Amino acid sequence: MGLLTILKKMKQKEREMRLLMLGLDNAGKTTILKKFNGEDVSTISPTLGFNIKTLEHKGFKLNIWDVGGQKSLRSYWRNYFESTDGLVWVVDSADRLRLEDCRKELSSLLLEERLAGATLLVFANKQDLPGALSKEAIQEALALDDIKSHHWCIIGCSAVTGKNLLAGVDWLLDDIAARIFTTD
Amino acid sequence: MEAMAEHSQETRVTGESGADKIQERLQRRHQARAEDAERKKEAQASQSVAEEKSGYFLSTFNAERASIEDLLSSCSGADRAVVTQTLEEATVKTLQLQKFLNDSMLFLTQYELRRAQDALKKLLTSSADIREEALPKKKFAFRARSKATDKVSAPPVTDTPTVTDSTKVDVAPAESVQCCFSNMDNVCMIKTAEEINKQDVLLTHLTNCKVRLFGSPSTLHMTHIDNCEILCGPVSSSVFVDHCRNSTLAIPCQQLRTHNTTDTQVYLHVTSRAIVEDCRGVGFAPFTCSYPTLDEDFIVSGLDRHRNNWSQVDDFNWLAAGTPSPNWALIPEADRKTNWEL
Ligand SMILES: Nc1nc2c(ncn2[C@@H]2O[C@H](COP(=O)(O)OP(=O)(O)OP(=O)(O)O)[C@@H](O)[C@H]2O)c(=O)[nH]1
Ligand SMILES: [Mg+2]
Repeated sequence: MGLLTILKKMKQKEREMRLLMLGLDNAGKTTILKKFNGEDVSTISPTLGFNIKTLEHKGFKLNIWDVGGQKSLRSYWRNYFESTDGLVWVVDSADRLRLEDCRKELSSLLLEERLAGATLLVFANKQDLPGALSKEAIQEALALDDIKSHHWCIIGCSAVTGKNLLAGVDWLLDDIAARIFTTD
Repeated sequence: MEAMAEHSQETRVTGESGADKIQERLQRRHQARAEDAERKKEAQASQSVAEEKSGYFLSTFNAERASIEDLLSSCSGADRAVVTQTLEEATVKTLQLQKFLNDSMLFLTQYELRRAQDALKKLLTSSADIREEALPKKKFAFRARSKATDKVSAPPVTDTPTVTDSTKVDVAPAESVQCCFSNMDNVCMIKTAEEINKQDVLLTHLTNCKVRLFGSPSTLHMTHIDNCEILCGPVSSSVFVDHCRNSTLAIPCQQLRTHNTTDTQVYLHVTSRAIVEDCRGVGFAPFTCSYPTLDEDFIVSGLDRHRNNWSQVDDFNWLAAGTPSPNWALIPEADRKTNWEL
């Protein structure tokens, strides 16, 4: 076996990524995770603690951590930062009243050293609601254009209809893969 | 960004001899790979620590729980003094177990956490049963702080139903339309399906109002509600309540999320769970109201009518839920509101 073949084999084995989903409570994190995995979303309760899901997608093994977003749980978020390849920040696009909270929480996360290498995907969720703000409006409200420290992308989606969930995750995986797996 | 740096270096070496180039490239690959592997190892280590911890938790928890069960079962047939002492011991142990659960919450999955909470609940119930049986008279009752109900029953409401136009919240850019009713005092408001079906409805800054939302919104958000009575048809997803006081709410929904709320009664149909956070004096009872289009609205909402977890409330400030949270209670049947006419 040539050296290149061995290298390729190694690469295949290690195509594993750790994704961390955070966002305010009620944003739709758990619903996104379950919908993405093809599970029933009607029985989801507000998350006490966290859920982990391991799934295969596009030849990657994804370890997805979905941590509860209630105020009382946010101080625990930092316990999940280690080795995160991708951060998925989920926003309830119809929750105008808490957009400022949402911006603050995100900007303090981005200062975290342990998340420094992570790619950021922002899901502007609940686009199916008539009162949802557009992804452009969310981008502005969260001051995403000021982010220089991370690769980021915002995608409008709906966990209920499933719209754009795949597009978001695919972008995230491509970005991470380009960073951590050497390409030929 | 690392990738970019590497890439530009690589382009720089293209001028050198072929063999050198490949050599260097391989070396760099190798290094990157080693770093990746290191990173992966760390990730796995942190995950296995979590697994180990949860394994340790489960075995300790189950052992402790078994010993409490032994204590409790030793009570049967024992005499009063012994029972008193044994129960005392069991209670102390249960409280310690609760503390242990609290401290372990971080690395338990939701499923493990709930199982443990249920087990604790069971222990407490059976020790309460034993106490009741062996040492009667010392009655323990947990009553709702639901005195506010009296106040709500005679609010100063205008007798002509006023229809208030949707107003926009000022923080909102005006491009998308949210169905919003805000800044009202002493108003009686009725909305019907045409206006609210499938909408995301927002109620804010309402004082002394009676509100009837006959229809099925997609979601309902209410904040700064004071001394109001709000009845809403089935909401297909979540209801978010913030800063509400001295009020009565009646809602079927998928999730209820209650924050910063005090002295409020909730008549609830919830197909997943209700939670409270930073609340005091919140009472819960099953949703039993009816109005002419309720059946249709249930169908529009897609909610399961036969699944109502109204009495299972999670208090996020009281996570080791072995003992009931002091922040909410079930409304005793005798105190429940039955008349919802305007
Ligand atoms: N209309 C609509 N509702 C959604 C969407 N995504 C989630 N929801 C609803 O929003 C509510 C909250 O969803 P969850 O997935 O529990 O939210 P979460 O972010 O996990 O919340 P925490 O666990 O408290 O942090 C649920 O009632 C969902 O049905 C969406 O895209 N559209
Ligand atoms: Mg959740």
